[in-house]
Amino acid sequence: MVVYFRNRQTFSHDFETVTLAYFNRYPNPYAKHVKSIDTIDRHIDSDGRLHQTKIICKAGSLPQWVKPFLGRINTSWIVEKTIVDPKEKTMTTYNCNLDHTKLLRVEECTKYHYDREKNTTEFDSTVRFSSGFRKFGNLNVKDRIEDWSKAKFAEHSKSSRMGLKLVMESVRQKMAESIQSQRLKQKL
Amino acid sequence: MGNLMSTSFAPECTELKQKYDTCFNEWYSEKFLKGKGLHNECTDFWEDYRKCLDIHMKKQGIDNLLSEARSEAPFENGGKAVDDEDRK
Repeated sequence: MVVYFRNRQTFSHDFETVTLAYFNRYPNPYAKHVKSIDTIDRHIDSDGRLHQTKIICKAGSLPQWVKPFLGRINTSWIVEKTIVDPKEKTMTTYNCNLDHTKLLRVEECTKYHYDREKNTTEFDSTVRFSSGFRKFGNLNVKDRIEDWSKAKFAEHSKSSRMGLKLVMESVRQKMAESIQSQRLKQKL
Repeated sequence: MGNLMSTSFAPECTELKQKYDTCFNEWYSEKFLKGKGLHNECTDFWEDYRKCLDIHMKKQGIDNLLSEARSEAPFENGGKAVDDEDRK
């Protein structure tokens, strides 16, 4: 069994605010488990789209019952690929864990799309949970891991959206300040 | 994008990363999204930062982790979720 989680959301911010906030979403008070984020690759393709690859290090938290299989896991690495199309005002993101993938692979595909009429940005995400574990006698570890991680993800996704919204507010404020200071300079 | 900035996995690269990120943010909003610049202007910052990452990714074995992950089939297909049926 593989488990999916679908999540849709509307952000009342423009495309610039949402994408800038996404790139700068760490640190925020809702993501204390995130230790680092690094850009390891970037390029612009022939259609003018910006591609970036990042690696994120998170402090891991796994349930007690996984420990017999894996021992203690303190950190987890995640790769993130993003593509921004500045003309269409869309951004796609793909996130996947790099280690412990036999135990559990969590892959998230998200599309951000700017709605010009409403001045909002639509968020549509699908997460796929798959575990490479097989059944051990009566113990269905695979299903248990997939269900547990989906529940945990749903819980976490609320706080990660709270974090993103917080950063969006600060991005919007900074943009407003910078417009104001530019206007002041022009007046002088 | 508060006053705090995120750190690199390698503390030695954090300063270079933050210089690059600052340059990137400005270029992204002022040029890229406005259709004014197709080339990322933060090349100098990028090269210093990337060199630092290279050294520490090798040291910590992260480059191996990445190449292993790349050899496995990804879920991603142009940003669309790939169904298990399509995977076979």
